[in-house]
Amino acid sequence: MDTVQSIARGRSAAHRVSRVTTVVSHRRRQMPLIAWFFLSPVALLLLALIAYPLLDVAWESFHYVNLTNPTATGFSGFDNFETVFQDDDLLPAIWNTVLWTGLSVAGEYVLGLSAAVALAGPIRGGAFFRAFIIIPWLIPIVVAGLDWSWILAPDYGVLNLWLVHLGVLSHPVDWLGQMNTALLTVTLANVWRTFPFYTISFLAALQAVPPELHEAAALDGAPAWRRFWHISMPHLRPVTLTLVTLHVIWTAVNFDFIWVMTAGGPLNASTTLPILIYRYAMRNFDVGAACALAGMMMSAMATMFFLYRYGTMGLMRPRGRRLKTGEA
Amino acid sequence: MEARGYRAHLAAAFLALAGSLVSLPAWAAPVTLNFWAAWDPTKSDGIDGMRQIELFEKSHPNIKVNVQVIAFDALHDKLVTSVVGGDAPDISWGLVEWLGELDRMGALADLSRKMAAAPEQKELYPNALAALTIAGKLKAVPNYIGLRALLVHADMLKKAGIAAPPKTWAELLADAPKIKAATGKPAFGIAGTGVRTPQELIMFLAQNGVKIAVPTKDGKFYNDWAENPAEMKRAAEVFAFYQSLQTTGAIDPAAAGWGYEEEDSEFAQGRYAMVVDGSWMSERVAENPKEMADLEIVPPPYNTTPATFFEVNPFYIFKGPREADAWQLAQFMIGKEYQSAVDSDRSPRMDVTSNGIWGKNFTTLTPIGVVFPPVPLGSITQSMEDSVGRVLLKHQKPEAVAAWLSRAINKALRQSGELGSS
Repeated sequence: MDTVQSIARGRSAAHRVSRVTTVVSHRRRQMPLIAWFFLSPVALLLLALIAYPLLDVAWESFHYVNLTNPTATGFSGFDNFETVFQDDDLLPAIWNTVLWTGLSVAGEYVLGLSAAVALAGPIRGGAFFRAFIIIPWLIPIVVAGLDWSWILAPDYGVLNLWLVHLGVLSHPVDWLGQMNTALLTVTLANVWRTFPFYTISFLAALQAVPPELHEAAALDGAPAWRRFWHISMPHLRPVTLTLVTLHVIWTAVNFDFIWVMTAGGPLNASTTLPILIYRYAMRNFDVGAACALAGMMMSAMATMFFLYRYGTMGLMRPRGRRLKTGEA
Repeated sequence: MEARGYRAHLAAAFLALAGSLVSLPAWAAPVTLNFWAAWDPTKSDGIDGMRQIELFEKSHPNIKVNVQVIAFDALHDKLVTSVVGGDAPDISWGLVEWLGELDRMGALADLSRKMAAAPEQKELYPNALAALTIAGKLKAVPNYIGLRALLVHADMLKKAGIAAPPKTWAELLADAPKIKAATGKPAFGIAGTGVRTPQELIMFLAQNGVKIAVPTKDGKFYNDWAENPAEMKRAAEVFAFYQSLQTTGAIDPAAAGWGYEEEDSEFAQGRYAMVVDGSWMSERVAENPKEMADLEIVPPPYNTTPATFFEVNPFYIFKGPREADAWQLAQFMIGKEYQSAVDSDRSPRMDVTSNGIWGKNFTTLTPIGVVFPPVPLGSITQSMEDSVGRVLLKHQKPEAVAAWLSRAINKALRQSGELGSS
């Protein structure tokens, strides 16, 4: 009897387990459907706002699309790309984009880090300076660009006035009107506006460094610069990677700051790829060529970042393995 | 018989109902015209213009006018995109430089018949109408004309011992060092960047007998400088003139980067002696009365051919269901009453002239006015601006710049489908 009961109990337990398993597996099967149900609004939004425009750009780069020439229609093959490659302004624009992006990001990094290090220490009025330094970043780009244009104007600009009064310059300089100064001047204005973002990011990272590490190193006799280099800098690496990656993208595709200050001039001296794309689309109304250049720019940037990402992962893997096996 | 009578009554009732429905539009709500204007609503032309529009609405109770003010800087892009989007205004201000482009888009109404029947036709300057005609069809009506004359600060010339303003480029270049020595200020002003640069360049080219594009037998256009060495030489002389203005100090060193705002304001503030400019500078007299008190207005200096830029600002009427009503508004605005009230200094009507220096001194230059060819000009005007930059900023040789511009114009014509066979 006991045996029978025990078998019955066992069967009942097995039945319960089997029911629970069935319910769980049923729920598991349902989970993706529920997940899709909740994700679908976002997925639709992404499809409409990102995937569709991207595909449309790719499609139109192989078609004749000219707003002012309704007769130019149909498949264009590589004609739009040919238009872009035959443009005398393309190579200078690529060089200007590299220069503008490289100098901006480097300048923002150096200035942002210096300001963060200065503000990280116990200084009087630190809170005030931390709040004060963010102001340039809060100013809208168009307002900042116009302000700088007025400050730099050769006839009524305050910068030229000061420099001439101080004897630094013998006569006012048209900073935005000269071919050799226009792009550098806009770059400086961009650095001025953007470095506070670096400062607050670095400041947060610096304040997260455990103070005992610095204390221990100081007790061991490490000078300040060595402590900064070997303790603070490694802690800044993740935020640096994020900041630099984001700002390379944001700066390379920036249009408004240059457009407001120089519109790409004088004589294309500050024309970058986004300005060239705008010129194709909204000056020549050649949407096909604009899409071809935009597609090429996006592909180049995506390739760079994939190479960077997988290159970094490749470098990280052996180090990770060494750490796991205790070789390091 | 009864059934037949019943059917007849039914048919009569149906016809009456259908007739009343057909006649509905006759007493339907008034038509609303969308009119894009680029006037400043706070200045005299905007205030007077709005007053005139109210008068038009009173005299045309079936038409309402919805005026939207859009600055010239934004107007072009808005017009093109609205046409592409199928939502163009019924009537709009614009620049004559956009005529070829808008026409190629198939956006403009053919006004030839309407104008032929209108009494206003014989009162309008023939070359203003010619500037708005493509392949024999009138595609816009003139709003106002903006001729360019030489504006002179006479006191600065007197101080330099110069009896009369220069009549030729050579005289201008000879006067420049004297003016600089006597006043410490440059003699002349140009716009090195922006929309005015190609307008000044086409004027200088015309003053040396050069056209940027000539019509071809197939109804298109072509820049023939490369096939015509004499023409290329004259074009190069124009760029050499720009270079001379710079090297002799006749223009401000910063003028290569000036747009029209700087050119106008620097002159109004008496920072240089002479400029080829339009009658809108009359507004600067009120803003800078002291500096502008010595103003004289004379024809522009030239090299071989007297010429000036003839800016015909048109009213564009767009194809659509309200075309006829838009024509009524346009006809009203080119009428004597409107023109006398709003544009007496710059009217395209021969019977509306102002005797002041801002009127006749400009309108007498109408016969020597030159305009852009009626082709899409986006890339062409950009290349013209670049060519001036190549001379003034890159200091390239005038011959090389002329050859480059010739190629650039033909390339732009080819891209727009307007390149004719040489």
